[in-house]
Amino acid sequence: MLRSRDISSHEILDMYMQRISDHDTSLNCYITLNKDAALKKSIQADRLIESGDPLPLTGIPYAGKDIFCTQGVKTTCGSKMLENFIPPYDATVISNLNNQGAILMGKTNMDEFAMGSSNETSYFGPVHNPWDLARSPGGSSGGSAVAVAAGLAPIALGTDTGGSIRQPAAFTGITGLKPSYGRCSRYGMIAFASSLDQAGILALTAEDTAILLESLAGFDPLDSTSVETTVPKYSQSLNASIEGKVVGIPKEFFDEGLDAESEQLFFEAIKVYESLGVQFKDISLPHLSLSVPTYYVVAPAECSSNLARYDGIRYGYRHDETDDLDDFYLTNRQIGFGAEVKRRIITGTYVLSTGYYDAYYLKAQKVRQLISKDFKQAFQDIDAVMGPTTQTPAFKIGEKIDDPVTMYMNDIYTISANLAGLPAISHPCGFVQNLPFGLQIIAPHFAEAELLNLTHLFQQETDWHQKQPPDLNKV
Amino acid sequence: MSIKKSEIAYISSLSKLKMEDIEIDNFTSQISDILKMIQQLEKVNTDDIEPMAHPLNMKQRLRMDLVTEENQRELYQKNAVEFEEGFYKVPKVID
Repeated sequence: MLRSRDISSHEILDMYMQRISDHDTSLNCYITLNKDAALKKSIQADRLIESGDPLPLTGIPYAGKDIFCTQGVKTTCGSKMLENFIPPYDATVISNLNNQGAILMGKTNMDEFAMGSSNETSYFGPVHNPWDLARSPGGSSGGSAVAVAAGLAPIALGTDTGGSIRQPAAFTGITGLKPSYGRCSRYGMIAFASSLDQAGILALTAEDTAILLESLAGFDPLDSTSVETTVPKYSQSLNASIEGKVVGIPKEFFDEGLDAESEQLFFEAIKVYESLGVQFKDISLPHLSLSVPTYYVVAPAECSSNLARYDGIRYGYRHDETDDLDDFYLTNRQIGFGAEVKRRIITGTYVLSTGYYDAYYLKAQKVRQLISKDFKQAFQDIDAVMGPTTQTPAFKIGEKIDDPVTMYMNDIYTISANLAGLPAISHPCGFVQNLPFGLQIIAPHFAEAELLNLTHLFQQETDWHQKQPPDLNKV
Repeated sequence: MSIKKSEIAYISSLSKLKMEDIEIDNFTSQISDILKMIQQLEKVNTDDIEPMAHPLNMKQRLRMDLVTEENQRELYQKNAVEFEEGFYKVPKVID
């Protein structure tokens, strides 16, 4: 529509800004809007489209999770610590999109430093699920998920360390892709757990995801863990036949935590894939149940080390009512960080401390190897793994926040892909008690094209991804 | 496994986090629960298993030791609350 000039970039942006002004008071999905700069860019984009020489993403607005550094635009990471932080540079994924003509509309709300599964740990207040405002949209990329689900952005960037793209995508009825570790640059993405963090996309469809990923992904010399492989044209393989593909269903995904209605919905969705020629096979990933305890050693350990940089001197929250240097550090961090971040820093420091390193950290890295090996072995006979993204649909705000272990168990189906560095996607597959429910697909390293192909063909057969939340005027 | 209140207080000081007494109490019980959950790992046989250092078993990529960026001190210092003549200010360390 942009190319054929049925609508201008300027008009699209205006429509989204109007929707934000109408609905974001109740949803709280944006922390900062980039209105003036976006407006200027949309006018330039319209000129470029008129000249007949647009770039692949010219004039397309997007929202970025507030974890990505954006030059001149406040980047808080959902924390009081970075409440006034204005990065002097762009994260590589942000410049990749901007260089292809996309327009940053604003920065979305998130759990503080991406630590959380409900968006309730944000210093800027919780995000509300548009399907039921009393419920959480999941987290940590809750703001990005809600912006897309409620039509306050056409597409958004998120990050996924243990399920932070897939779980909120499932809870809000949209498509969420966590690419392989190393596929998208981590440069300028505020670090939480560096061996697990990965940037990805929250969108309405696999097709939109594929188009954006072509610009987002790619080798970056500025990220030492970025992988030097070519980026396929994902949008060109969306319609490839999936007949004869073999997908494994791990029995470990069907534990006592999954309710019967959700399980039934999952198997209904499997029938759609079967009608497209996909063959299913029961498999076992024997160490899968250990992914949550493994993650809660590795992630806090990396977090305690990454967050040691926040001392309030060069940037970040600074409390000036002390004459003692040690007290200065202690107070800046006491006031700057919220409870969940502190809990993880302390857990991480503990598992890395003398006498506990071998018992906890080294042990967890060995179990992580076993989890990864389970997948490697499974992928010798199958093309992908499928299961539900979560055990239940969206829970109520306040329901789990006081019980960290119950909250952590939320990510039981998603964490293994992060531990093994595998790409995974969640797409809507129906409704449980009028709330969206997601199906997750996990593929071998760098097989994002496979995930997008499967999801796209599913979305040609079903309309779950087209359902919009009630009480919001349609986009 | 449960953790003692004194251990939480000590780890907080190592982590440079000042904590109120009530926070230490809460964290003592919550982190004990977390450690209990983590203890499941003890049951797993990991003999002869290499710890996983990287999801893709990659080697650390190195670059030439060349200057790639100019010093942009004024620009970077805009995010500091207190600085003077190019230096960051902290409470007095030496009398």
